[in-house]
Amino acid sequence: MSAAACNILSARFGRADGHRLDVYEAEGGYRALRQVLGGMKPAEVVELVKGAGLRGRGGAGFPTGAKWSFVPSAAEDVYFFVNADESEPGTFKDRYLLDYDPHQTIEGAIISAYAVRAKLAFIYIRGEFGWLVDRVERAVTEAYSAGYLGRDILGSGYSLEMIVHKGAGAYICGEETGLINSVTGLKGQPSIKPPFPAVSGFLGRPTIVNNVETVAAVPWIVMHGAQAYRSYGTEKSPGTKLWSVSGPVRNPGVFEIPLGMPFADFFHGQLGGMQDGEEFKACIVGGSSVPVLTAAEIMACTLDYESLQEAGTMLGSGGMIIVPQRADMVELIKVLMHFYWDESCGQCTPCREGTGWLHRIASRLLKGEAVPADLELLEKVCNGMMGLTICPLADAAVMPMRSFLQRFRDEFAARIHETAAPEPVNRWARGE
Amino acid sequence: MAKLTIDDQVIEVPNGTRLFDACRLARGEDLPHFCYHPDLSVAGVCRLCQVEIEGLPKLTIACNTTVRDGMVVRTRSPRVQQAVKQVLEMHLINHPVDCPICDQAGECGLQDQYMDYGLYESEVAKSDKVLKRKAKIIGPHVILDQERCVLCSRCVRFCEEVTGTGELGIYNRGDRAEIDVAPGVELANNYSLNTVDICPVGALTSRDFRFQKRVWLLRSTPGICPGCATGCNVRLDHAGGRIYRLKPRRNDEVNGPWMCDGGRMTYKDVHADERLIQPLHRREGGLAELPWQQARELFYGLVKPGSVAFAVTDPRQSLEELVLFQRLAGRLVGEAQLAGGVAGEGDAPGDSLLLADDRRPNRRALAWLGLLELPPAALAAALAAARGVLLVYGGDPLAHPDIAAAARRLRIVYLGTHRGATAAAAELVVPLCAWAEKDALWVNRQGRVQRGQRAVAPPGLAREDWRVLVDILAHLGDDPGAADLPALRRVVAQRLQLADADALNLLPATGLVPEVPTVPLQSDAPETAANGGS
Repeated sequence: MSAAACNILSARFGRADGHRLDVYEAEGGYRALRQVLGGMKPAEVVELVKGAGLRGRGGAGFPTGAKWSFVPSAAEDVYFFVNADESEPGTFKDRYLLDYDPHQTIEGAIISAYAVRAKLAFIYIRGEFGWLVDRVERAVTEAYSAGYLGRDILGSGYSLEMIVHKGAGAYICGEETGLINSVTGLKGQPSIKPPFPAVSGFLGRPTIVNNVETVAAVPWIVMHGAQAYRSYGTEKSPGTKLWSVSGPVRNPGVFEIPLGMPFADFFHGQLGGMQDGEEFKACIVGGSSVPVLTAAEIMACTLDYESLQEAGTMLGSGGMIIVPQRADMVELIKVLMHFYWDESCGQCTPCREGTGWLHRIASRLLKGEAVPADLELLEKVCNGMMGLTICPLADAAVMPMRSFLQRFRDEFAARIHETAAPEPVNRWARGE
Repeated sequence: MAKLTIDDQVIEVPNGTRLFDACRLARGEDLPHFCYHPDLSVAGVCRLCQVEIEGLPKLTIACNTTVRDGMVVRTRSPRVQQAVKQVLEMHLINHPVDCPICDQAGECGLQDQYMDYGLYESEVAKSDKVLKRKAKIIGPHVILDQERCVLCSRCVRFCEEVTGTGELGIYNRGDRAEIDVAPGVELANNYSLNTVDICPVGALTSRDFRFQKRVWLLRSTPGICPGCATGCNVRLDHAGGRIYRLKPRRNDEVNGPWMCDGGRMTYKDVHADERLIQPLHRREGGLAELPWQQARELFYGLVKPGSVAFAVTDPRQSLEELVLFQRLAGRLVGEAQLAGGVAGEGDAPGDSLLLADDRRPNRRALAWLGLLELPPAALAAALAAARGVLLVYGGDPLAHPDIAAAARRLRIVYLGTHRGATAAAAELVVPLCAWAEKDALWVNRQGRVQRGQRAVAPPGLAREDWRVLVDILAHLGDDPGAADLPALRRVVAQRLQLADADALNLLPATGLVPEVPTVPLQSDAPETAANGGS
């Protein structure tokens, strides 16, 4: 495909009226739903999405159709969740989708819910997105009035209720089992797997959780077919991807480009390169949890799942952070470690204790209180966290830490003062 | 059945077996763990029971894995050992390591795992430690040390899943997460001390046991809780002739792994100041001590056929003791002049878990023997009409004012353990053993015979009940042929008409529910000689 921008997902981005039902309908909205309910069986929708090769856009990149097909065929009560908890640092694409074009996601959610035979769907929006909750609720109400939701949708016999649920603002509620627990009224903490949500999720019933961007692509795939979708992107990474780009580039923001586009083209094209006086040092390409790449490394990549994996990082959520030369990598990692320490749910010991430990060592580094052994200790702590927990939050803290240490070790080493020793703590002074 | 290989050893287990349990079978010991508990749901949070399963890229926790046929599992590979060591280190980094002042020391999961997998120098800078609250009282029996907690959530799950009371929760998140009770809530359910038992570290400790004894100085003896008719299996932990605590002993037919808080405190009565430690007899000015030889002579002077007007015992006496006393009473009084106890005395509402309304450990034995408890009014009326000696074995019937009033003109001989109203009114007091001081059989509410062993010696000159009773019987010309405990239990088996004479000497670990011929109660069939002995 060409390096040109495309607008499968972003047709109404930046428009003042894109969120209105009449506008959406006038531009072809809800036709995909009519087509599905007019004659497609749920299994046919699953096959279609499988054929299109759509992969989960929340971060893991798991094939969407395959995920849907995990729902036991005899299941009675199935639930469908749209994950709009977008909380990966550096990621701000789902809020664009819901803000500018909520009906596209709603239509995609109805079709997806139909594909997995759900009778109840939730849109889980993170607590900080208060205005989005209002916008999406209004759109859901419009959809109900238009007969796209509720009993016997468009006379098809298929009924679906949709609830907009506002989270309380925890990173971990974006993990699908944490999200389900949060809606259930439990503490927002991931559950052990197995059982997987597709078999036993919300209220112990089969539950599918899909990211907003994943769901939003479904109407287009229905209208244009799997092959048309595959005409974008690469063989293993078909379709388009939203990238939310931050950092001192000329044009930061949200961009839709076909997967497989060379980073250099995207960087010099859409992003317009670095701002004057800034130098490109590093790139966190898929949200704060993925390993950082140096500018040279990322320049050699194409923006798709395989190429980025080969380069030692991940496509993730597409939350791209461009790091300029003047940025202090120790300060940056300290900020990131603070985030993971703050957001660890505290269930699994390696994550609960490890995130805090990493954060405290990083803080000492920043304050010039670290000792030489601390760099090795950081690596050791990472080894005690990676792959040992229920959910990937521990890994999400380890991957940036390890990659920062590996690629910018000199900046860390420069922070170490040979004579520095941590001050002893006088616990009695705290009145304990 | 599923055939799997664990550490190069092929084992076969039923389908659906938890891998954790299969590993225990293969290894002969548990995998390291804090959060897994067989009687609670799986939390999967301590991350210690990691194993390597062939074909899976990541290590897997065994507690949340079901065995599959053909599974190849490694529990001691370098990769697993490394992971366990690292996870253990995470458990320890914010732990205060205050073992010298911690009651859990010696039976602590953290200490055990550290000896097995740790043995490294601390690498945590002191300034990196997270400090949490110490010694917070969270209920009448339990004290919480948040700093020592590894957040395994066993106690939280216990209060959710076993008692259903939900007092405990984990508040906050990340390394600020803490076990606690909500403001205004106390951990005050009947089973709160079980949280101390299942706490793998010293975060929850018993206020009763706290700072009393180092656990490695304690010796354990299996016993049966005397607190109610459930007969929970317990372990008496004692040292130097003193009991320091009761812990539940697993019996899935009776109490599972739990017991109630009240039951745990029953040991205190054994060491009460009110214990009778000397034979006593009434002189002017009160009860005076006297040697056993004189007490025996006084006893036989008072207690003989024709002189005894009424005999009362108590369902807190053991099965053997009740059999012997019933036989003894048969030599002295008529069946109508023998009461098995004061009906309803001490009973209180129990709960649906373990604690019975019936607070007597052996009431079922009374029914087997056809011994009838009398309501206070009936016993008072019977005593008011009687003249002569009132022989009381166990209990404290005169604690009831009506009975005390009715017994005023009777000469009371008391065989018992504590100074109470009955002892105070007695002419002769014979000191005997409390439940923890004797090897005895108890019949719980299911009709299950369970054996409690002797944990400590009786105080002072108190003697074992059955020896005293056999001695009296022999004096009255009825040698039961019970020279030792096995012989005594054959006598009891014969009395209960058990087919196997040694059934009570060979009790299964979970106790025995024997087929006992129904003995009609006196109230049902007053004419039949229900308690005629064998």
